[in-house]
Amino acid sequence: MSGSEIIDYAVLIPLLPFLAFPVILFLGRLFNGTPTWVKNVKEGGIIALTVMGASLVLALLVIKEHMNKVGAADVFTWFESSWWNSETGAITTKVFGFGIYIDHLTVMLLFVAAFLCFLINIFSIGYMNTDPINDNRNHRFYAEFVLFCSGMLGMVLADSFLWLFIFWELMGLCSYLLIGFYYERPSAAYAAKKAFLTTRVGDVFLVIGLVMLWNLFEPYAGSQGALSYAVVFDPEKIAMVNPGDLQLALGMMFIGAVGKSAQFPLHVWLPDAMEGPTPVSALIHAATMVNAGLYIVARMFPFFMEAELGALSTLAIVIAVIGGITAVMAALIAFVQMDLKKVLAYSTMSQLAYIFTGLGSALWLANNGYDDLAAFAMGASLFHLFNHAMAKGMLFMASGSVIHEMHHAHHEVAHHGHDDDHHDDHHDDHFDAQSMENMGGLASRMPITATAMFVGSMSIIGIPLIGGFWSKEGIIASAWKVALKEPIFLLPAMLILIGAGMTGFYMSRMWFMTFAGKPKTEVAEHVHEQTPWIPIPLVILTFMTLSAVILAGMHAGHWLGDFESGHYSSFIDGIGYEMEHVFLNPDPFLMVLTYVAIGLSLVLGPSFAMALYGGSLDGDQKAKPWMQWAINLSARVNKNSKFDNTAWANSSLATSLHKRLHFDDVYDAAMLKIVVGFAKLSAIFDTKFIDGVIKTIESTSQEASRRVRSLTTGSARDYIMMTALGTLVIFILLWGVA
Amino acid sequence: MLIGGLLIIVAGLMAFFPSMSDSDTSVDWISLPLVGFPIIVSCILLAFASQETRARKEVIAVPIRLFTLVASLIPLAISTALFFDWLILVDWDLMYNEYALEKEYVWIESIGVSWHVGMDGLSFPMVWLTTFLVPITIITTWNEKDGATYYPLLLMMGGALIGVFVALDLFLFYVFWELTLIPMFFLILKWGGKDRRYAAQKFFIYTFCASVIMLLGLITLYFLQPEGSGSQYGTVTGRTFDMTVLFSNATAYNMGDSVFLGKDMQNILFAMLMIGFLVKLPAVPFHTWLPDAHVQAPTGGSMLLAGVMLKMGAYGMLRIPIAIFPDAVVYYQDVIMAIGLISLVWGSIVCLGQTNLKKMVAYSSVSHMGVILLGIASMQPIGYAAALFMMFAHGIISPMLFAVCGAFKHHYHSMEIGAMRGMAKWSPFLAVYMMFAWMASLGLPLLAGFVAELMVMIAFWPEYGWWILLPGAVLAITAAYYLWSMQRTIFEGGDEGQPPESLNGETPPDITLSENIGMIILAIFTVIFGIFPFIALGMMDQWTVAFFEGVFNLGGI
Repeated sequence: MSGSEIIDYAVLIPLLPFLAFPVILFLGRLFNGTPTWVKNVKEGGIIALTVMGASLVLALLVIKEHMNKVGAADVFTWFESSWWNSETGAITTKVFGFGIYIDHLTVMLLFVAAFLCFLINIFSIGYMNTDPINDNRNHRFYAEFVLFCSGMLGMVLADSFLWLFIFWELMGLCSYLLIGFYYERPSAAYAAKKAFLTTRVGDVFLVIGLVMLWNLFEPYAGSQGALSYAVVFDPEKIAMVNPGDLQLALGMMFIGAVGKSAQFPLHVWLPDAMEGPTPVSALIHAATMVNAGLYIVARMFPFFMEAELGALSTLAIVIAVIGGITAVMAALIAFVQMDLKKVLAYSTMSQLAYIFTGLGSALWLANNGYDDLAAFAMGASLFHLFNHAMAKGMLFMASGSVIHEMHHAHHEVAHHGHDDDHHDDHHDDHFDAQSMENMGGLASRMPITATAMFVGSMSIIGIPLIGGFWSKEGIIASAWKVALKEPIFLLPAMLILIGAGMTGFYMSRMWFMTFAGKPKTEVAEHVHEQTPWIPIPLVILTFMTLSAVILAGMHAGHWLGDFESGHYSSFIDGIGYEMEHVFLNPDPFLMVLTYVAIGLSLVLGPSFAMALYGGSLDGDQKAKPWMQWAINLSARVNKNSKFDNTAWANSSLATSLHKRLHFDDVYDAAMLKIVVGFAKLSAIFDTKFIDGVIKTIESTSQEASRRVRSLTTGSARDYIMMTALGTLVIFILLWGVA
Repeated sequence: MLIGGLLIIVAGLMAFFPSMSDSDTSVDWISLPLVGFPIIVSCILLAFASQETRARKEVIAVPIRLFTLVASLIPLAISTALFFDWLILVDWDLMYNEYALEKEYVWIESIGVSWHVGMDGLSFPMVWLTTFLVPITIITTWNEKDGATYYPLLLMMGGALIGVFVALDLFLFYVFWELTLIPMFFLILKWGGKDRRYAAQKFFIYTFCASVIMLLGLITLYFLQPEGSGSQYGTVTGRTFDMTVLFSNATAYNMGDSVFLGKDMQNILFAMLMIGFLVKLPAVPFHTWLPDAHVQAPTGGSMLLAGVMLKMGAYGMLRIPIAIFPDAVVYYQDVIMAIGLISLVWGSIVCLGQTNLKKMVAYSSVSHMGVILLGIASMQPIGYAAALFMMFAHGIISPMLFAVCGAFKHHYHSMEIGAMRGMAKWSPFLAVYMMFAWMASLGLPLLAGFVAELMVMIAFWPEYGWWILLPGAVLAITAAYYLWSMQRTIFEGGDEGQPPESLNGETPPDITLSENIGMIILAIFTVIFGIFPFIALGMMDQWTVAFFEGVFNLGGI
């Protein structure tokens, strides 16, 4: 091995945080509460930040090297085991190894993961270390945090589906631990369990899918592990595999993705997962872990490319339809949520669903021979993944900032004038710092946060030229392109088009309820940005989101989908090309579609939100100019509109939306009543019947022995009698035989 | 003085067994160091302790405990050294029916019994596991009452278990097989819970009855074997109990279309032997002795019972019936699979319905042992390797599960799930170990249990296809009962966290230092074998390939 390359060090990217996990736990245990540990090391925050910084630097170096180049490196052999081929009769040794594999998908997600993990770490130091409730347990938070990052980075870099799954589960564990961070709260314990179990259901199918895939490729894999990308993405091998079985295997894997990315019908865990601290929501449930499901579906692209034409179409349609249904369902539930983080949670679900639809379109196109269109759809989906991760990470952090400052303000208000004896009693009263009903008018009081939220919301809505706009248009266009060829696709295509308008409504609603209008509580009046560390990632991500236009100009939507198809010549040309394609598409159908989508998301959705929730700030307050116009506009719309929504708010649909369309209730009931009930009956059956049989044998034999024993009377008369009887019996028997 | 006396006895024993071949002058690393030493030491200690008065017993308990710990570390050191070739170069690259460190001494000449020991890829991991678990068990239950007799019994248990794994003679195998019952019987009877008498009797009689059926099978096998002449054969009966002879006979007769002992006899004997092993495993429906025994047994007893004793069943299956009756394995393949699936599913469902923490863990063992049967029935080398690795991994994880249960009982005086909430606040260490052990047991990747489960599922698919949904469902159910129990023990409890009523208002303590040490070692090894499974799997894979080539005539030959 001469001439070491950067990829040989890529394994350090997940390894460093993995090793930091025990270190932080151990040091935290050792030094908990000492001034140095709290002040200088931030209870482990600085260690985590150092490690994540190192990982980020390494990741950037790897990305720089492999921007246009596929790379692979073996790391170690996990284990070897032998396989007997029943047809040839040969026994071959199969290697289950771990290695690094880097292509365009890896590069993109590696950047997202490493970059956001780093920023959220900065945010955490501000958020976690200034809240007294976290005292003495922040080391646990940072330890679990780095372990999670290790899982995410490892999953992205792994060179086989097997190790993808291993890191996938590692993330699941950390998600469980971090959601249950406030272990003493029953709701957190419940949410943690729910998240783990719901994703576990998906994981079971993922394992089965992997097992099927392993067995499909086993005959062609030789001694290589049959789940490594080098084997399964080999076009010749894919062509040899039975496409029907392949579709089943991939379908099983897709169920795993549904669980992890919180799609219908395994979506119920994500809103509850907001019980975790806000950085956790930002990290796991918006920016990184939920993308794992998308990643695994995106990884399936080569199968669809190389398999027999049309053989895997059904699966592509299923993926898109699940996406479409989730997009609208989640957006509907988001309409009525009052909890700031829950709105974002449903929004996450909905946006991930967009990407699923986009991927479904890409896969369908790939499987039906439209390679160029497929690459475009793929690029748009991945670009949306990127935009969404940046924007949603920022939105969650901004919401964390709001919640954090609301908490502080509430603390000040509640204890103003009191002799501050019981410092910690703010758990006892029932002020909800996360409810938007307690906010309002924060735009002037929290300028950085408000700006970040403003930009993030626009990106999610798809306001032209900002962030998610570039990618969302691509997804909608791709879905409709497929719909023109395959009528069933009309369903998801229509659903995500409607969803665009709904996104416009619920995101604007969230922003206006929080930042516009007059403060709804006394607490909201006293809010101001004061916590250090928190604004840093907000500012960085605001620029990141705004700069999506640059990426769009660099044809991100093209080269994200496929290395070869999109080299950009110059930025100005690129941006011109994109502009022309989006706004003046030569295909009239697509052009109409674009304007319909823009109309829905830019005009219809936000105007309803303004009509219902808009309003000007307090007289003396003034927001930054880039937000002031929106607030003024909302106030005007609100005043002039006669829109009355009481009928709708009291409708049965709204009620069931409040109950999250009853999914949670039904699942809980099924689990508690049917499964646990059956288990209890089984336990009784086990002791009463299976063990009962044994006990009966035992008691019968004891009874028999007691009877026999009773013959032992000790009286000589009885014994003579028995002897006589016995002799008689023997004689009778002998006589009978003779 | 004690050690001096031991050495004399050892030397005497050495002289007693004349070696079969005089040319073999290599050191016997198995007979005395691994098997004889622990048993003899424990016998002496027990005899010594039984002479003392009750008051004196408490005084001598402390030195005896320390002495037992040191004595148990010696086999561990030796077995570890044998693996790493520190003592001598051991060739683990063995063909089928070849054994490392093999030693043979004539024992009962007239009927062909010899003290024949040796190790291969099947037995060595189990031997190491046993030598590893005995000191861990002693450390974890450092403060057990009546230590003067308790710790020697653990040591004896270890020696007897190793004897089962190294025996290469059917007679010897059976002797050790039954010998393991004795210390465990007394452990349950003397240190057990409320219903200990019932549990101990049930444990003894249940498994003994099954062993008798097995014994009948072994004796039938003995007499059905062809007569021969040679040092291994009995002078009176003309037959032998030697396993290696049996294996080579069986392999020779099973070649081609012929079947060793005939098809019908194979099937009958296979079933008889399997019953003995299935009860020990245990497999549903022969499992009901296990929860009773576990719930009543002391922590140390449970740790060894779940850690190694259950694996005797799986070991026995692979060692004897499967090795000599390959046609019967094929004949019964679906039955084995069915029993495995039923154990797996039934065990996990019953777990979900439990309210007693230890009972839940006991049933989870039933469920996990089903995985071993699945691996065997898959008829794939990878499935067999998975079964071996499952035995090994479960041997590390389940003692930890029971150590956690024991610590829970010890500190909270209750075994009920939900009796103690918010354990993370009161006993952070115990909470961490509990979560770790639970997660390891539910098959979290990078911990030892996952590897075996993955391999079994891979091997399962080609033969049984969509039945894979059952083990899949079990993965989810297992997660459900473990997480549910954690939710109600580690989590919750509110800000104040009410200590349970059984504590009478005392503040719940965290676990003791010795429990801490024992559990952290188990945890470390769970991680080591989860991240680097090849350490153990290399040897196991080698064994399975040799086994498949030798027994099933597959592969290269």
